[in-house]
Amino acid sequence: MSQLIPAIGFGLITASILAIAAVGFTLQFSVTNILNLAYGDIMTACAFAAYVANQAGVNIWICLVIASLFGAVFSFLLNRLVYFQFVRRGTKLFGMIIVTIAMSLIIQNVLLAIFRPTFFSYHASQGPSYTFGSMVFTASQLAIIGIAALAMLAVHLLSTRTKLGKAMRATATNPGLARSCGVATDRVIDAAWLVSGALCGIAGVAVVLNTATFSEGTGATFLVPIIAAAVLGGIGQPYGAMLGAITIGLASEIAASVINPSYKDVVAFGILIVVLLVRPQGILSEVAAAKEVAA
Amino acid sequence: MNDRRAKSGARISLAVAALVTLAACGSNAPSATPKTYTGTLTFASFNPFTGPDASFGPEMAAGCIPAAHLINQAGGVLGHQVQCITVDTRGDPADAVPAAQKMIATTQNLVGMNGPSSDEALATVPIINRAQIPMFGDTGQAAFDKSTYDYFWRLTPADDAAGIAMAIYAYRKGFRKGAAVFGNDLSSQGNVPNLLAAFNKLGGKIVLNQSIALDKGSYRSEVQTLIGANPDVIFTEASPQTNAAYLSQLQQLHGMIPVIGTQPTVQPPWIKAVGGAIGKANLAHYFAAAQPFAPSQGPSWDVYNKALLASGADVPQPDQWSQDPYTETDFDAIVIMALAMIMANTPDPAFYNKFISKVVADTPGAVEVHSYQEGKDALGAGKTIHYVGAGGPISMDAYHNSSGAFEMVGYTAAGDFPQVDTVSAADIAKYKT
Repeated sequence: MSQLIPAIGFGLITASILAIAAVGFTLQFSVTNILNLAYGDIMTACAFAAYVANQAGVNIWICLVIASLFGAVFSFLLNRLVYFQFVRRGTKLFGMIIVTIAMSLIIQNVLLAIFRPTFFSYHASQGPSYTFGSMVFTASQLAIIGIAALAMLAVHLLSTRTKLGKAMRATATNPGLARSCGVATDRVIDAAWLVSGALCGIAGVAVVLNTATFSEGTGATFLVPIIAAAVLGGIGQPYGAMLGAITIGLASEIAASVINPSYKDVVAFGILIVVLLVRPQGILSEVAAAKEVAA
Repeated sequence: MNDRRAKSGARISLAVAALVTLAACGSNAPSATPKTYTGTLTFASFNPFTGPDASFGPEMAAGCIPAAHLINQAGGVLGHQVQCITVDTRGDPADAVPAAQKMIATTQNLVGMNGPSSDEALATVPIINRAQIPMFGDTGQAAFDKSTYDYFWRLTPADDAAGIAMAIYAYRKGFRKGAAVFGNDLSSQGNVPNLLAAFNKLGGKIVLNQSIALDKGSYRSEVQTLIGANPDVIFTEASPQTNAAYLSQLQQLHGMIPVIGTQPTVQPPWIKAVGGAIGKANLAHYFAAAQPFAPSQGPSWDVYNKALLASGADVPQPDQWSQDPYTETDFDAIVIMALAMIMANTPDPAFYNKFISKVVADTPGAVEVHSYQEGKDALGAGKTIHYVGAGGPISMDAYHNSSGAFEMVGYTAAGDFPQVDTVSAADIAKYKT
């Protein structure tokens, strides 16, 4: 029990990072219908963009903004220059998955060629530690949790209070109908790539602040829990991704604490399997069901 | 009736004979005469170049490339130039097995190799052995301590010996409560059983044995458990990113505890990752590691280091491998195989393999040689040779293993690895279970 409360605190940090990444991932999929498996590598590219700025003496929190902008532009261009060309030619969901895997490998190898096979760290202090009961957080971890909460709030406000958000939801649910109702779906899709890319950039830097070091393959190793969180919540559902991230984050930390660290993923993914057996469409379901991508 | 039976028997006999002949053709039994080779001979560096143990591959290739340069400068082997290729196993048997099969099936003039590593050795050594390719494994797995594979050779000690060296050093330094924090991969876990047994036998106590998943974002719960166990030393080997995240989170939650690592923890990627995460000053203060003892001096090492430093076009930052015992022995392996080919008068592995132990044997009257050129000249003059490697003297046992002492190295903020202690082979043998 003495280990459980701190583990919940640690789980919140993991969940915050996962939530930023998973919401971006699922938003991208729901609006564009592309399951972008290069997402983890774009996170890495954003982490490198922040690294370059950080090495030039820029404060890490400004670097996070730079990474977010970089992620937005990178994702937008990736869609316009690569993915959209395939979509236009009628490539279907599974064909697009292969294209995204190819892009994942290309991005990873380009990063490898530019930065060489080694590890990198930011010049960034974790700041002082704060204790809440038996939970311990550094200032930087509290900042990550705060950024995640703000990002989730921003996504909520965007999707419920703005025209763009409503257009995104309409496009996600039925792009044909949305188009015939006067929604400029191409522009909405561009906006979705920009927003999800920005979240991807934030997640890339948050991951590195958590792991303290990174290489060209770091983002790809986080893709599985990101997808797991998105699928658990009901793929295409930003709120579901938040719930999925909290479930995976807490489960893995609690498992590492009270069972065996080797099995932290086993427990987290065991929960995923059980939930999907009961609710194949995930916790929140409508987009997954509409797109027929329920597990 | 008898006639028909006899005819039928003859047919069956013919069929059996045909099957036996076919089977013989398909088997790998050595033929009576060596194969003829044309063109460049190929040595492979068969190791992880990607994945969590991606640092192993470049370390190995850095040994092969300068050796190949020196061999070519000396006129090649039996008129053939040599080259090095890299084969990526990704550190995973599932990838390594097809990689081995592809390497064997498609590599022209493949005459020898360095590798495999511990990650893929159990899965691939039988395949490579069946293909009759001499391999100098850098696997530390104890399963090969008494290897019966004819084509398997090993110039570095087993992982379980490293675990004992770590335990002895920790005990000498006054540490009595140890925590074993190792990655859950085969390579890392190979160190654990003998480490635990030796530390307990010495009178210490292992307060925590933690096997951790690799390359996760958070190890805070694991670190919290470690802090609860209150060790005064951490024994570790995991991937650079894993150890960097783990130790930086230890630093955040508690402050550093002395760390004793294995040889992979003195590799440049590990030092860069962990040094970047916890700070080089902390690394210099709290860290030591056990690695096979290689003198990194003397005429053979001079030849190696000169060739290595001249290979900058093919080996990124070659000086980082100057004192690396694995790179040194990978270099030695190529030289030994090339000299064995000269002894056997053929690059055919099925014929030169048995000469490998003769190249390094310290037999009476043998001329001590320190380079391929010296060895080639001595053999050309009809002499028996005794090759002393860049990694030190080599003595092969009946199981094709050559092991020795360990050195304990520290780290300085300037990036050096000063020797802080040595653990003799006799001490290691004393605590081996």
